[in-house]
Amino acid sequence: MIGVFLSVLLMLQASEPPALQHVHVGVGAEKSGHLDEALAEFKKATELDPKLAVAFTDLGGVYIEKRDYAAAITPLKRAVELSPDLDAAHRLLGYALLAQGYATEAIPHLEKAHAEDALGIALLDAGKLPEAVAVLQKVLAQNPNDPELLYYYGRASGLLSKQVFDELEARFPDSARAHEMMAQDYAVLRDVPNAEREFLEALRQRPQTSGLHLQLGELYARAQQWDKAEEQFQLETGIQPGSAEAFYRLGEAQLQLGKFHEALEALVHSDHLREDMPETLYQLGKAASMDGDDKMAQKYWQHLLSLEKDTPLAAQAHFGLSGIYRKLGEPAEADREMEEFRKLQSKPGHTDVSPN
Amino acid sequence: MSRRITRRDFLEAFAAMGLALPGPLALFDVKHPRGLDFNHVNSPTPQKYLIETMGGGVALFDYNNDGLLDIFLVNSGRLANPMRAPETFDRQNPRNWNRLYRQNPDGSFTDVTKEAGLANAGDGNYGMGVAVGDYDNDGFPDLYITNYGKNTLYHNNGDGTFTDVTAKAGVEAGGWSCSAGFFDYDNDGHLDLLVTRYMIWDTQHSKICGGEWQTYCPPAEFPVTTNILYRNRGDGTFEDVSRRSGIASVTGRSLGVAFADYDDDGFTDIFVSNDGMRQFLFHNNGDGTFTECALEAGTALTADGKPLSGMGAVFQDYDNDGRPDILVTVLPREVYALFHNDGNGSFSYHSLQAGLGLLSAASSGWGSGLEDFNNDGWKDLFVAQSHVLDNVEAIDPMLHYKQPPLMALNHNGRFERADSGVTAAIAGRGAAFGDLNNDGWMDVVVTSLGGEPLMLLNHGGSGNWLSISLRGTRSNRDGLGASVQVNGQKRFATTAGSYISASDKRLHFGLGTAEVAKVEIHWPSGIHQILEGVKANRLLEVREPEKS
Repeated sequence: MIGVFLSVLLMLQASEPPALQHVHVGVGAEKSGHLDEALAEFKKATELDPKLAVAFTDLGGVYIEKRDYAAAITPLKRAVELSPDLDAAHRLLGYALLAQGYATEAIPHLEKAHAEDALGIALLDAGKLPEAVAVLQKVLAQNPNDPELLYYYGRASGLLSKQVFDELEARFPDSARAHEMMAQDYAVLRDVPNAEREFLEALRQRPQTSGLHLQLGELYARAQQWDKAEEQFQLETGIQPGSAEAFYRLGEAQLQLGKFHEALEALVHSDHLREDMPETLYQLGKAASMDGDDKMAQKYWQHLLSLEKDTPLAAQAHFGLSGIYRKLGEPAEADREMEEFRKLQSKPGHTDVSPN
Repeated sequence: MSRRITRRDFLEAFAAMGLALPGPLALFDVKHPRGLDFNHVNSPTPQKYLIETMGGGVALFDYNNDGLLDIFLVNSGRLANPMRAPETFDRQNPRNWNRLYRQNPDGSFTDVTKEAGLANAGDGNYGMGVAVGDYDNDGFPDLYITNYGKNTLYHNNGDGTFTDVTAKAGVEAGGWSCSAGFFDYDNDGHLDLLVTRYMIWDTQHSKICGGEWQTYCPPAEFPVTTNILYRNRGDGTFEDVSRRSGIASVTGRSLGVAFADYDDDGFTDIFVSNDGMRQFLFHNNGDGTFTECALEAGTALTADGKPLSGMGAVFQDYDNDGRPDILVTVLPREVYALFHNDGNGSFSYHSLQAGLGLLSAASSGWGSGLEDFNNDGWKDLFVAQSHVLDNVEAIDPMLHYKQPPLMALNHNGRFERADSGVTAAIAGRGAAFGDLNNDGWMDVVVTSLGGEPLMLLNHGGSGNWLSISLRGTRSNRDGLGASVQVNGQKRFATTAGSYISASDKRLHFGLGTAEVAKVEIHWPSGIHQILEGVKANRLLEVREPEKS
């Protein structure tokens, strides 16, 4: 029975065109990882039948597997000439062209093959940023955990953002927004005098713009000019009375300036606007403690610890509680909190302050 | 007592008349007295050897007992690029000598280094700091010089000369020493010596950090080491009791040291500032041992539980509650730490309450002092400032390598910036405090890394004052470790504190409008002495009674 089956199979193969036979052998070799053998078979197939598009496609595919993208391009171009609707050939040609830096040329092939991940990258490389962002966003929605896609999406968005800002700067160089952007650039460079000058010009033109005082305040805070920072945050809370961040920053600046009661008020307001933010709860505890209200400090830090167990902020809360208990004459509680602090400090990512 | 009219009086009168002031009310005049021609040599190299950025000690002391403060300045030495063993820092070259300047009655100075026998600093020694104390109670202050290399103890012979007695005394230490201080930890009347050491480091195991910025490495790149406690046997020799006493039970990267009896148990405690880690507070157990308790006492970390880049240290009472507090100078974005002594053996972080959040968050502090510069009865704050990294502007334009010193006046426990009179930014390091011209107003000498020191003479003003010189009999001769209270203000007698520097041993008190004072002294011997009705505006020498 087996003998009959083999005979039929051999008869069928014998009746197949020789070029296709080489294609089949090539496919087998490729599957087995014998790429050079596959390459030779596909070449023979293209020589025997120069109009066999599938052979050219497979040949290009093996070159791509061998990372020889330059060699892949010619057979793949021939494949799409022979069979313009062969999606696999378009996809592989798009990949090969993209890998060789011919992004613009790759785009129609990738579009034809609906290879959207590579298309997004090709659009990015070709400088078609809005299209790239749109395509990558769509692909990312289907594959949200792909780090490569996240990278290219981030890069495309960033470049698009820069492109738009550059255009804004070029077309409206003296607008408030252009000054704001220049201020942001100087701030990144830590150039305080120039950043300050640009923020102030933006504010002169549009004094009620949301976020400008906040940004200027943050610049002053980074430069440790806390009195100026406080003034800016105060102004921002006037413009944005619903901004938890503005009140948080105001409280932080006032804490630094030793205005503990005012800091408490600002931080309480921030906490009302956006509840259970660990940073706000920590600063609330600190402000209360420094204002002499240990009970209130205890309340905020314990609440923070109910939300966070092993973060740096939790460690700081344990440290603060230890100080309060020590002050209250409760050494056992103080030691317990200090022990928790030490335990967290010895974890990776924390600053180790344990005795040596 | 008739009082001289000072420039400050003139300026205040001018202001009171509603006239435009001829200039701001700066506290000090920057003086360049004749004869003070020191130039610190630190020889920065592209190798970025960490020692290059740490030296510049200064001492104010009266070495010849003529009543005028003299100045000793520690030089560092020449570094090769790169250094090769055996290491020599060309200390024989006069350019690299430490220098002793004797003050003349007219306020000028004379370099007496060579005749005093202080020219040879040791070729293998790259200089750091200085401590002053009369370790043999002969009435003449002695000098202890700290180095990268071996430290040197110079005995003051009382005839204007010094003798290197390091080998006999057994106090050479070795490694990299920074601040040192004399104090009497066992109250036996003989001054002991605490030496801080920074890290285990040598030029052959140096590193360059900062990538393309090529800069000095942070301290955590190098291993920690121990500090050293030498006990004075009273016969001119010392024994190393670091292990036995518990001082060496912890290792750190120590730079500053300051002394005070923080828990009022009659024994001097030690605060040691550490760079980039927790600080040390050594509680004196009274039996020859110490317990490191900074974490429990609340002086190890900031209020947020974060380590400090501790450099200079002061241990004095800033808020007139009678208890010594601790000030630690640090790097920018950390805020100088002020630990308030709460009175039950514990401290609270009070930097923000005291106004230091605004004054110091962008600064790097080294030598520092809490002294009453305007004689109003509150100790003010002076800090020599400069970043560690000489190319910090390139790395972070928000920061500055050279900075003017911080002068802040104390208003009921809160510090507010004042004009020091120093307009130029310098690479400040050491700072020593004392009344150089005996006018009753505290002056300062600040060193500048790789530059000339600044002498800051206080303009003076209208406040009354009292300067107290202690003469121990049962206690050590200079009464170091005594706690002295004058009209409610307390000072702990010490020449240590600041950073790698030593200050005038006399205790200065501003009295404000008070014309008489009550002086209360707790001597290290345990003797309690009270002087009533002491007239203001004078130098008072107080001799310790033989019996309580």
